[in-house]
Amino acid sequence: MADEAFEPKITAFVCNWCTYAGADLTGTSRLKYQSNIRIIRLPCTGRVDFMLIQKAFARGSDGVIVSGCHPNDCHYTSGNYHARRRWMVFNDLMEFMGLDMRRVTFSWVSAAEGAKWATLVNEVTDHLRELGPYTEYQRLLNAGVA
Amino acid sequence: MDVLRNKARDLLAQGQVQVVIGYEAGTGGARRPSFVRSEADVARLVWDADCVGNLAGYLTRAEIKKMGKIAVVANAATLRALLQLTAEHQLAEGAVSALVVTEEGAVLELSNAQAVTEHVATLPASLSAADREKLDQLMALSREERRAFWEQELQRCIKCYACRSSCPMCYCGSCTMDCNRPQWVPVASHEMGNLEYHTVRAMHLAGRCVECGECGRACPVGIPIHLLTCYAEESVRRQFGQPAGTSATLNYALGTFRPDDQETFIR
Amino acid sequence: MSRLGVFVCHCGENIGATVDVTEVAERCKHMPGVAHAEDYKYLCSNPGQNKIKQAIEEHQLDGVVVAACSPRMHEPTFRRAVTDAGLNAYMCEVANLREHCSWVHEKADSTTEKAIDLVRLQVEKVKRNKPLDTIQVPITRSALVIGGGIAGIQAALDIADSGHKVIMVERSPALGGHMAQLSETFPTLDCSQCILTPRMVDVSRHPNITLLTYSEVEHVEGFIGNFKVAIRKRARMVDEDLCTGCGECLQKCPTKNVADSFNEGLSMRRAIYVPFAQAVPNIPVIDTENCRKFQGKKCDRCAKACPTKAIKFDQKDQIINVEVGAIVVATGYQVMGTERFPEYGYGTYPDVITGLQFERYASASGPTQGVIKRPSDGKEPETVVFLACSGSRDAAKGVKYCSKICCMYTAKHAMLLKHKNHHAKAYVFYMDIRSAGKNYDEFVRRAIEEDGVKYIRGRVSRIYEEDGKLIVKGADTLLGGEPVEIKADMVVLASAALPNHGQGELAQKLHVGTDPYGFVAEAHPKLRPVETTSAGIFLAGACQSPRDIPETVGQASAAAAKVTALLSRSHLAREPLVAEVNRKPAPQFSDCTGCLLCETACPYQAIGHEEIKDRNGNVLKTVAKINPGLCQGCGTCVSLCRTKAIDLHGYSNEQIFAEIMSL
Ligand SMILES: Cc1cc2nc3c(=O)[nH]c(=O)nc-3n(C[C@H](O)[C@H](O)[C@H](O)COP(=O)(O)OP(=O)(O)OC[C@H]3O[C@@H](n4cnc5c(N)ncnc54)[C@H](O)[C@@H]3O)c2cc1C
Ligand code: SF4
Ligand code: SF4
Ligand code: FES
Repeated sequence: MADEAFEPKITAFVCNWCTYAGADLTGTSRLKYQSNIRIIRLPCTGRVDFMLIQKAFARGSDGVIVSGCHPNDCHYTSGNYHARRRWMVFNDLMEFMGLDMRRVTFSWVSAAEGAKWATLVNEVTDHLRELGPYTEYQRLLNAGVA
Repeated sequence: MDVLRNKARDLLAQGQVQVVIGYEAGTGGARRPSFVRSEADVARLVWDADCVGNLAGYLTRAEIKKMGKIAVVANAATLRALLQLTAEHQLAEGAVSALVVTEEGAVLELSNAQAVTEHVATLPASLSAADREKLDQLMALSREERRAFWEQELQRCIKCYACRSSCPMCYCGSCTMDCNRPQWVPVASHEMGNLEYHTVRAMHLAGRCVECGECGRACPVGIPIHLLTCYAEESVRRQFGQPAGTSATLNYALGTFRPDDQETFIR
Repeated sequence: MSRLGVFVCHCGENIGATVDVTEVAERCKHMPGVAHAEDYKYLCSNPGQNKIKQAIEEHQLDGVVVAACSPRMHEPTFRRAVTDAGLNAYMCEVANLREHCSWVHEKADSTTEKAIDLVRLQVEKVKRNKPLDTIQVPITRSALVIGGGIAGIQAALDIADSGHKVIMVERSPALGGHMAQLSETFPTLDCSQCILTPRMVDVSRHPNITLLTYSEVEHVEGFIGNFKVAIRKRARMVDEDLCTGCGECLQKCPTKNVADSFNEGLSMRRAIYVPFAQAVPNIPVIDTENCRKFQGKKCDRCAKACPTKAIKFDQKDQIINVEVGAIVVATGYQVMGTERFPEYGYGTYPDVITGLQFERYASASGPTQGVIKRPSDGKEPETVVFLACSGSRDAAKGVKYCSKICCMYTAKHAMLLKHKNHHAKAYVFYMDIRSAGKNYDEFVRRAIEEDGVKYIRGRVSRIYEEDGKLIVKGADTLLGGEPVEIKADMVVLASAALPNHGQGELAQKLHVGTDPYGFVAEAHPKLRPVETTSAGIFLAGACQSPRDIPETVGQASAAAAKVTALLSRSHLAREPLVAEVNRKPAPQFSDCTGCLLCETACPYQAIGHEEIKDRNGNVLKTVAKINPGLCQGCGTCVSLCRTKAIDLHGYSNEQIFAEIMSL
């Protein structure tokens, strides 16, 4: 059973032009969501190296959100299409290695979808609270990490 | 075998190549690479079903490139590696000839990328039947079982990098593993670092691995590490229809996209 | 060790009411590398900015984190402020405590903790920031205009008038686009040709304009300020320098049965032709698909007739290479043909025509000299039904969008019919009348009230032929869906305006985005309506979406103003947030292995390669090289590069890694 006091640590990698702006809109619209998430701003989802996701988990994140512009809407025309392909392979490979992909949420949130962002963050936070700490991964840290 | 030796002798005698890279008898019936530079040495060359190693890894090494024009005795995986290396600008077109021994015992000399491409198109997948079976078995397991499997395997990794050294596609001069600004992956071998190393390696070989299994054979502690890279490669082929090592021109699946790529997990 | 300053803003109550701002500032003081931290009511105000500047001087700060509202709001403000105090602009980062924290969370300790984390992220980032200088790119001070309709004409003239060279590429043999085909134009009913012809002549005479008709863009490379364009000038088989436009050849051509596309197929033309009498340039072109000579038959009558020997049967396509600093896309639209409408006979009834065909009938220079006739028997129709929204506003039958111009030209058509034939009856079926615009609604009202055009609100479900009449079956929704049946002599479809043919391929060549319908996409629907998604490429007219002439002209002038502003500078300053392939001392030269897999990943074709050579010119290594003028800084290549040889200024591996590790 998950510890009552457990609060998931969530790291988000979002693109500057859509999801970051969408999250700004959540704010301007004064929509509320849970405060577990920390957003790291990147220019585009194309900049999302899968190693960033890895490192976020290595650093103790219980969940990761990666989000950018919807297909066809990338500020750089196709960064998100490239990103999508890489996520497709990453996701597949992680499944094959038996890693818990319920802890990574990929999404498209546009600059106009402030409400979607709030809902997404809340859903992910609740879900992670249910899943509990990512001990199966953090256990590996015991050998010590930089 | 004689046909192959004769061919090698001719090539060397006529000065068409300066070195023939092939296989010779190693200890205990195993085959090991052989670098034949004079006619006198062609007798060392052997060819049989045990010649499974991928010799393409040598082709990108500076000391070997220096020897001059090369002919390489090539099995299916070596041919695929040749093409992939050419596509990735690591081999100049025409710098290497491939010597292929057909089932009938004849020797084909494939001296340019187009000839290799055409020949590769006629070959079955290079993944061995045993590996195919192992992959299928793993895929049939539950996620937890797969995690347990890989945790078991990877914790034995001693980070000797034999897999990386043996891989024909791991030719990069400065590997992410050696990058220390930032130190992406910790140097020491421990469970997290091992997991990261092998994920990175598999991701970097997705769409590029030629499925020779060389890395698995090279591993001193016997981790079937090639299953990861082969799976990543297969993932690319399944999802984007692009197999590695079948074309000498740039068509890296992860360097392009289709607007209608289909996935099921992005919200 | 860095000496950073952290400035935490209350934003009045906006942040202060939810986040314990003083606590944040206090805790920041203890972060490694932070030399100074303070909080203030409104940092974006002048006194607020001055506080930052003073602190930079007083504490000799080498980097700044402003914890305030979204960086998308005030990042430029604070970056300017730090430069005033002598710091490099890129040594300042903004932590988003308002939109991403105080406005979305309740007042709680955890909210303050989050705020501190958000600042720490930026502190760790700034420690690894490097001073960056804006990139200066030289500009080729000339422009290319693609498309010679009214949009292209207006843009070219405006740019040329401001003193810059313009190359204008029109793919048809003459300028004018659709406007040249129109009869009279709403809402003033002035003759289209009469107002257009002088403009076309201006283009051909302008010393700053090079006009290339019968030409198309073959290939484009380069970037804002520095485009290299290859133009294919198709062979007209007539020497433009020798031809005097006398027209002798036209009369002699024995091939007389080619459907005349300028007249929308309502008349025939010869194999050698000038599209219309006022064409600019007035130089014929041989349509090789129909010319006897090119079909292997013996004929050279045109050549014999030409007094200047201008006919050249052996002329070849020419590739012309030009360099320009800016491009205007003005390629217009096309209309949906009658064959696309199953319920109206799939184009099999000759008297069901498009609005554009009606324009040709109504035009004084058209196939009937302005008398409205019908195609089947050439009789003047007495009853004409006009169908607005044919194929528009219904994805199932055509397109989802409103074609915008049809309401107005349908009113115009009905009006023209009544003006030309007072006894004629005009019926208009419509969904709603969209007539916003200066004098537009008045125009429609005039059609209804003064000219007695009968407007019926409803759709037509079917048209069929019976005894030489077209039976139009519809319903009047204002009368509760009561069925209506009209026996018409002719039906005019106000058919949807579509992206022009070839628009998709052109967009690909230019690397500009298109919308889901295939029209050229604007960079921002409200704030950057005449810019495309590619810097330095602008758009004007109906290639963006259907529009009328006044809007087209306004937009063309706007695009021209943007181009002129760009070309008035000798250099272009670009944000330095670009990717770079690292360089190292020999023998490595770079972490790049030269696999060049990144080449195809760049959305902007910014990645090429460079050969590193020894003193004797031998190539030692080939490595990727990014053109900083082309790179837009998306980072797609950075995350692809296996050796981490590529890094992105402003979002470097070290910066992001440090951010993650700070959490
Ligand atoms: C039936 C009808 C009636 C109308 N009546 C009116 C009216 O009364 N009043 C009014 O204000 N508006 C009217 N309009 C709208 C008017 O036609 C348009 O607003 C106007 O033509 C738009 O001009 P444009 O230059 O953007 O496009 P176009 O007129 O379509 O011109 C585009 C030009 O670009 C060229 N081109 C296309 N692709 C390429 C390429 N790849 N390379 C080079 N050249 C290329 C074409 O050959 C063409 O010359 C009417 C439209 C229709 C259909
Ligand atoms: S990853 Fe392993 S199996 Fe794939 S090419 Fe390299 S050595 Fe061969
Ligand atoms: S950052 Fe983006 S735009 Fe710049 S070179 Fe890399 S892929 Fe191209
Ligand atoms: S800018 Fe948002 S995904 Fe590319």
